[in-house]
Amino acid sequence: MLRSMMLIRAFEQALARRNDHGFQLLSSGEEAVAVGLCSALTGNDQLLTGGRSIGPALARGLAPDRVMAELLGRSSGTNRGKGGRGHLADPKAGFFGAHAVVGGNISIAVGVALSMQMSGSDGIVAILFGDGASGVGALHESLNIAAIWNLPVLFVCNNNQFSVSTPRSAALAPRNISDIGVAFGMPSRTIDGMDVELVADVAREAAAKIRAGSGPQFLECVSYRFSSHSTTARETRSREELASIKSLCPIERHMKGLLAAGIIDRDSEAGLDSEVADIVAGALAFADASEFPDPAEVLTDVW
Amino acid sequence: MIYKISVPAVADVEEIRVLEWHGEPGHRFNSGDLVVELETHKAIVEVRAGQPGVLREVLSEAGKWQQIGLPLALLSDDAGEPLPEGADSAPDLLVDFEIT
Amino acid sequence: MTTEKIFFREAIARAMREEMRKNERIFIIGQDVGAFGGSYREFDGLFAEFGAARVRDTPVAEAAMVGVGVGAAAAGHRPLVSITYMDFMMLGFDPLINYGAKLRYKTGGQLTAPVIVKTTAGAKGQGVAHSQCIEAWLMSVPGLKVVAPSTPADAYGLLKAALREDGPVVFMDHKRLFPVAGEVPLSEGIVPIGHAHVCRAGADVTITTHSFMTRVALEAAKLLEADGISAEVIDLRTLAPLDMRTVADSVSRTGALLTLEEGQVTCGVGLEVIGRIHELLGPIPSARIGALPAPVSSNRVLETACLPDAQRVSNAARTLLGKLAGRSGGKIANFVPNSQ
Repeated sequence: MLRSMMLIRAFEQALARRNDHGFQLLSSGEEAVAVGLCSALTGNDQLLTGGRSIGPALARGLAPDRVMAELLGRSSGTNRGKGGRGHLADPKAGFFGAHAVVGGNISIAVGVALSMQMSGSDGIVAILFGDGASGVGALHESLNIAAIWNLPVLFVCNNNQFSVSTPRSAALAPRNISDIGVAFGMPSRTIDGMDVELVADVAREAAAKIRAGSGPQFLECVSYRFSSHSTTARETRSREELASIKSLCPIERHMKGLLAAGIIDRDSEAGLDSEVADIVAGALAFADASEFPDPAEVLTDVW
Repeated sequence: MIYKISVPAVADVEEIRVLEWHGEPGHRFNSGDLVVELETHKAIVEVRAGQPGVLREVLSEAGKWQQIGLPLALLSDDAGEPLPEGADSAPDLLVDFEIT
Repeated sequence: MTTEKIFFREAIARAMREEMRKNERIFIIGQDVGAFGGSYREFDGLFAEFGAARVRDTPVAEAAMVGVGVGAAAAGHRPLVSITYMDFMMLGFDPLINYGAKLRYKTGGQLTAPVIVKTTAGAKGQGVAHSQCIEAWLMSVPGLKVVAPSTPADAYGLLKAALREDGPVVFMDHKRLFPVAGEVPLSEGIVPIGHAHVCRAGADVTITTHSFMTRVALEAAKLLEADGISAEVIDLRTLAPLDMRTVADSVSRTGALLTLEEGQVTCGVGLEVIGRIHELLGPIPSARIGALPAPVSSNRVLETACLPDAQRVSNAARTLLGKLAGRSGGKIANFVPNSQ
């Protein structure tokens, strides 16, 4: 899980340094949520996300080369360059996909779960969305349907406490976002989303129960966003606040824990750094060497 | 006296399908007896005799279609009365109809 | 006998029953579709035969209903989502249009959503928010097909065709079509998507239309015949993709085009047909007729005043042909006010 989080951080930072980075939503600070969640998912499961998709896609195991190519608009990308970050997808790898409409993927995820249940699959569906999506009507409608039909869905709210510029407390009435799940009668928890091992443990426990047929669950992971909402959004927090937030880095926290427990040492840490750097460099090189789509592709795959 | 039963004027209906006759020609219906069931696009219409009569000729068999207001069958007070050429001149039998 | 006469609703139920027997991936979700059999009994018998897993009642939640249908389709099933009133399709536009219609494109071909949204349009005394025909809004969505039968045979055939499509299809029927009975082939009669039907041959003017207004057009054609005007009536049957070949073939013979719809003429189905005819054949004299630009009230007097009827349609055709007869050198007829 450490390696996975480090890969996400390095990948996104390398992307953000480029002139052609495009419109991106980055996960710096929120890596533990995606990585902890994905550690609970198997090959039979599907993960869907909102627009903050890069971290979860990499955490799910998508090839960094093809993700980078997609983000940089190359036809060798996962979506042939036609979806970009907002719609990254690799369903064969268990990443049913991102969807850029806030809250727009939630009812879709419930539909995927319905299909799985009707097929007799023992897979589950995890749908990742933010606090910003938690006021969307479709969330509430989807929770209701998942509950009455006992569908295998894990609703995961990555509450990074801001919807662009609006603090969560100004946007949502419930004390905890997970209270929304309680209203529909499903097991619901709020946990520290900066602690990857906690997220992993809780997610695994929930996934096991859902897989066994006990119905949907709601998991709220409270996290901190290190940058602004997106590459075009202005930052609203002060330097001091940001410095304080960055001291909560989930990667450093996990690393400290592993070092203290003797599971890794400084050498392996350095090794991971360089391994991750190589992967990212390789992804960039792959993307840079790839073609843009032929303009004729503007009309392919419409119908 | 010869009477006819026509398709009752059910609101919002143009034509019906005859579902089932509850008697063969020769059968005497009493007041209140179910004579025929008709199917509209929405529901089933039960046509009951409002006066006694003998069923003489079925003009629309079960499974056939008929328009609102057009005749379905001829009846008479007595079994032996001669039937006219067409149904048009016959007065309507008193009926009650119920939509289920 | 090669056909049987059945109600419009029975044609829908028959298509669903036959297809659901052959393909277990097909299921139905919607309000009142289960034991109730659908608001118009269009799903009669399906719950009894296929059970609650495949004929599922939902709460009133169109955004989620459509999204669940789209998601299940993307994951490998073939759902039919029943939206009782077309007015409330609007609540499901996000999952249908932003996700479903764009899924194949945005995933570079990895996923597609073969979902049918079946919905009932049209005015029948139920008021401003329960009477709309908004199919024109859907015709311009790349990736979305739209079909609108006007007879039981076409309802049967188009529904079967729609259940074989790879992407999302809106199947639009109409409140006033449910009382209609018609002949339906006993054998499987699939009506291909993208094919219009010349339901009445004529020589003087082409009337293109769809859904319930097809019946109004045919009545109008009878009125015109009494005046010695021969109208060719084309039931479009599919609105997206439009069958312009059939329309162009007709208009190139008649030389005049009147479009008829129950919805609004602004940005309407008719305007699209006229625009394409002008691109294909040049400035053929044309006119549009549809609802007046007002909400459709439940008030019987006002509803009647708002919508086209056979008299108004035949008047519009006469006016168009009058302008045609009076013109010199190819001017396009102006928009015909419905008040005539």
